[in-house]
Amino acid sequence: MKVLIGIVATPEDERLFILDKGKPVLTAVNGKHPEETFGNYSILKQHLSKINDEPMKGPGVFKFRYGPVTAGVREAGCFYLYTYGEKILRATIDISWKQREIAKAMVDKSPETALTMAERICSNFALSHSVAFSRAVEMAVDISPSLQTKNWRTLLIESERIYNHLYVIYKLASAAAQKVLAAHLSALFEEALRLNERLSGSRYLMNINSLGKLNHIPEISNIEKIANKYLAVAKQFTELYKHSLKNYNYLDRLHSAGTLTAEQAEGLGLTGPTLRACGVVDDLNDTTEHLISLPVITQKEGDALARMEVRAEEIVNSCHYLADHLRASDSWYDATEKDVKSHNANGTGYAVVNSPSGAMGYYVEVNDNKMQRVDIFTPSYPGMYAVSQGLEDLIFTDFPFVFESFGVHFADAAI
Amino acid sequence: MIRWWPVFGLKRRLTEKKEYISPVDLRQPKTGIFNRSLFVYIIDVGSSNALNFEISALESPQYNIHRFGIFLTDSPRHADVLLILGRPVTKMLEPLKETISQLPKPFYTVTIDDHPDQPGLNEYPELPNHIAALTGVPSPDKILGLLLDIAKTKRKES
Amino acid sequence: MKILFIIALLFYIAGAVSSPKTQLSYIFGFLGSVSAFLSACFALTRSQILWNFPLLHNVSLSLYMDHLSAIFIIIATISWMALALYSVDYSKLYPKKRLPLGFNLSLLGMLLVLTAHDGITLLAGWEIMTIFAFLMMQGTGKYFEHSYRFLAFGELSTISLVIGFAALYVTAGSISFDALHKGSYFVLILISLGFIIKMDIVPFHAWMQGIYGEIPDNTAALLSAPVTLMGVYGLERVIPLLPNNQLWDIIIILLGAFSAFWGGLQAAVVNKIRLLPAYSTIENNGMILTAIGFYALAEGSGILSLHYLASFALAASIILVISHTFSKTLLFMSIGHAKEAYNVHTIDQARGVWSGVGRIPAIGIVISALSFSAFPPLIGYAGEWMILETLFQSYRFPSVAIAFSAALAGILIALAIGLISFAMIKLIGYTALGYDHGRKSRPIARRFMHTAEISLGSLLVLGGIGLPLVIIFIGFPQLLTGLLAIPAPLVLASNQPVFGVISPTFIGIIMLVLLIIPVWIFMKNKKKTRKVESWNGGIKLEEDEFFTAPAYSQILEHILRGFYHTREKKSKTRSSITVEDILIRPTVFISNMVMKTGKIVASTLMNGKISAYVAYILILFITVFIIGMVVK
Repeated sequence: MKVLIGIVATPEDERLFILDKGKPVLTAVNGKHPEETFGNYSILKQHLSKINDEPMKGPGVFKFRYGPVTAGVREAGCFYLYTYGEKILRATIDISWKQREIAKAMVDKSPETALTMAERICSNFALSHSVAFSRAVEMAVDISPSLQTKNWRTLLIESERIYNHLYVIYKLASAAAQKVLAAHLSALFEEALRLNERLSGSRYLMNINSLGKLNHIPEISNIEKIANKYLAVAKQFTELYKHSLKNYNYLDRLHSAGTLTAEQAEGLGLTGPTLRACGVVDDLNDTTEHLISLPVITQKEGDALARMEVRAEEIVNSCHYLADHLRASDSWYDATEKDVKSHNANGTGYAVVNSPSGAMGYYVEVNDNKMQRVDIFTPSYPGMYAVSQGLEDLIFTDFPFVFESFGVHFADAAI
Repeated sequence: MIRWWPVFGLKRRLTEKKEYISPVDLRQPKTGIFNRSLFVYIIDVGSSNALNFEISALESPQYNIHRFGIFLTDSPRHADVLLILGRPVTKMLEPLKETISQLPKPFYTVTIDDHPDQPGLNEYPELPNHIAALTGVPSPDKILGLLLDIAKTKRKES
Repeated sequence: MKILFIIALLFYIAGAVSSPKTQLSYIFGFLGSVSAFLSACFALTRSQILWNFPLLHNVSLSLYMDHLSAIFIIIATISWMALALYSVDYSKLYPKKRLPLGFNLSLLGMLLVLTAHDGITLLAGWEIMTIFAFLMMQGTGKYFEHSYRFLAFGELSTISLVIGFAALYVTAGSISFDALHKGSYFVLILISLGFIIKMDIVPFHAWMQGIYGEIPDNTAALLSAPVTLMGVYGLERVIPLLPNNQLWDIIIILLGAFSAFWGGLQAAVVNKIRLLPAYSTIENNGMILTAIGFYALAEGSGILSLHYLASFALAASIILVISHTFSKTLLFMSIGHAKEAYNVHTIDQARGVWSGVGRIPAIGIVISALSFSAFPPLIGYAGEWMILETLFQSYRFPSVAIAFSAALAGILIALAIGLISFAMIKLIGYTALGYDHGRKSRPIARRFMHTAEISLGSLLVLGGIGLPLVIIFIGFPQLLTGLLAIPAPLVLASNQPVFGVISPTFIGIIMLVLLIIPVWIFMKNKKKTRKVESWNGGIKLEEDEFFTAPAYSQILEHILRGFYHTREKKSKTRSSITVEDILIRPTVFISNMVMKTGKIVASTLMNGKISAYVAYILILFITVFIIGMVVK
């Protein structure tokens, strides 16, 4: 399947950044009509900071503003919910409250500096940003990182997925007032962050990945313990999850909240758990050079519950995957280190990474060891459209379930 | 069959007992009014989201901040401390000032600047009662240490 | 007394004659009401025949003032005085001369109704009241097609009364009230139906929609409070005299309770600022009707132990009447004041009266709305407690059917009171105390308006706190007692031995100590507090971000969508939710039929021309009399 990740536009021409069967490709538009093939073409083309901004009028209809400073959605962002009382008629999302213009600020910086900036776009996706950026730059300047580096990146992406998914389910549980479940999930979430720290030295997996190599190789003396911890997380999570699926109170609140059909999801250009929850088998896993292929988890209903189920299964899979491969990681040291020197200082590159919330794409142009241009395509931007569409015709109490279930972040959507 | 959550919840003891130490010293003398009761309101003005995650982690049972009388409030009007996450983007300067004006006296402001060298962000405006300024992404135990300092409460390892 | 009464009539006529000078005309109306008030005060202690004119054999026209008349005249004239004062300022906005002309003459008509002692005088007053109230409805100079519905229902009421009295003449040979005890059940049903229609009891309320938005404010107040009061007076006057019928009493109780429920239900969702109090009138009159029906039932049962309960129900009806007349007049005046100052029509548009228009109309809205929401110690609290307390005691009836019906009525009325509080919060929260969004009202003359508003507002508070005095005034001192530390006669008891008690006087004292004094101390020290904008997520609230009044009631519209016939429409840019009062459908259907089948009839009879109308009435009268004579 083909997914439009982004549009790389210059004043002269326009190229489509497409994920084709798991491989990123750039194709020229050439007078064709991309909007007929890709429903999300106009969304990406316009790239508005006010999402779904079409006022709703009528007797008694008013704009309920939620944000930019609220305790419910702690990030700086703003929702305008058009309503005549209880029902959300339209949800406009303003992401400009977090606009930091990082992509522009990267221009004329060295790739190394730009890499740290990429990690700081949305730090809970730090590794996805970092890997996508470094892969794009590696393509541009023709570096091939060693197998060891590639393997570690793959493993770390999975650990990023684990804590992000745990966070989403924890937020869903606390939104549904499932206090015990939420407390236990948040404990697991904190545990996952601590495991990150033991593995990489940073709770958010920052500063470990670099261009063509890793800044430091995780300490292998502790690796067995860490692997066991991941298995313990998987076990505890499974226990909690099974218990929570017995609780109809909880399931009722997630069920049929923010339902998207497969057509709607594909039309918005969604990727990741959100798309898979609509029953679409995507090939995002192929963007990562997995040591063994992970199964693609799908659900049919496309609602908040389905998205949670997809995430839950992915947590368990990733934990087992991590545990297995961490134990085998000492064998990677035998692989011969390749020369990671750059072959040329100029070029263009692009890459897509399977981040916890979907496809994360980077397009870079490097000139004379300086960033010439950086285009960043994050999963949260189309995700915000999905939130807006999912909220329509629901009532206010459904708001947190819809918003949290998509796993989107303002920091990630507004770059 | 519906299984009963509290039984499940009581089975495990997650709260940790250790000393939480603040990474910074307080910049001004504190009042005794918040002894063992500190209500914190959190405002994100342009952080990279790691701090939001750290606050969520701070709410986890390992830290169990409620045992110290520390609570996160839903409104600045109930807050003793305003915890400012990140350095402000231009658009958030006005909401930040408005939030500070809503705080009941006496109050403190605390800043956590997650990435001090990040371009594109503004300097902090004049912050009243700015009692502490952290940099980097401090882990929850450090944030808790600071809050305990302000609340004049210490929990020693037992 | 007689002289004062004649002076009152003369003042009203002078007011009508001087109608081109609108302000002077209203002042005459005020003076007339003062004279009528004074004459009624004398009548409290001594009943007197004011006038007797033998028309035919067995048929004489007579005016008579007894204790019941006096109470109702006093209640009505207080409302009239306030309205007349209010209208002095109001007339500067609508200087049409038909307004004061209609005002003075409809007051005259009502005074005749309140003193009439026979069918013809009553009907004469009744028609004068209806015709000139209709004339007032045209006072804004706007033509609106629904106004004929008011006349149609007015005529339905008149026809019912005419046939009723004709039937009385047939059976008793007289149309004097003294002969009412000889009347049949047919007479009972028709005469009481005539009064019930005037009380706007469901489904006879159908004329309200589409009219209350257009008519002048003083007319709306007049139609809603004193005019419906005439219906209540009529019932209170004839029901004790007519033979008792248990089935009819139960029907009245249930009809009243359902009407109260329906009025509350509709008031909760309307968005037009004047339709809300109009539906509240239906609700209040429904409660009054239930109280009267209960009184008739208890008194007519002949059971001695129910006598206390019967007088308690009657007292409840009169307290409700007092509360309703004063509160509704005040509410319409305050709302009208705000509405004219803003020049708007919906609750949403008329926000922030406190800061945008003035404090006195805002307080007027708050006090009257609180009184309707049964807020202690206001008089509305006493009234609504009394009606519920009455219905709670339905178990005292030996018949299960009666006990069950009365309990059902109690449930409906309790629901009605809840719904009306829900509705009144809209008026308090949005209109009176809401944000004004920086809107400033246009300047209007308001000195007399304020006087009227303050007087009625104080009466509502004083009437509540001084409830024992009011109870003694309406002639039920036996209902008062003392309990525990509260000395007699500050406690109102719903039965003997005590079943339930309230003492608004005592509550008033407690509130003064525990609420008003601390608030006063707080306000005195207010300078120490810091004022900030309300917290709204860090930025100021725009005008289109405020919670609207329709949104407040949307959840109710959704949950009770079966009652409201809620329909939702949604397009790409427009969304709306519509509700309707399904009980006006039959009326709309009939009126459409009339429009279709007899456009000529409709235009000749109901075109608003007084001459055609009067001719129609006379023809009707004569026809009925001839029929009556022939039958006899």
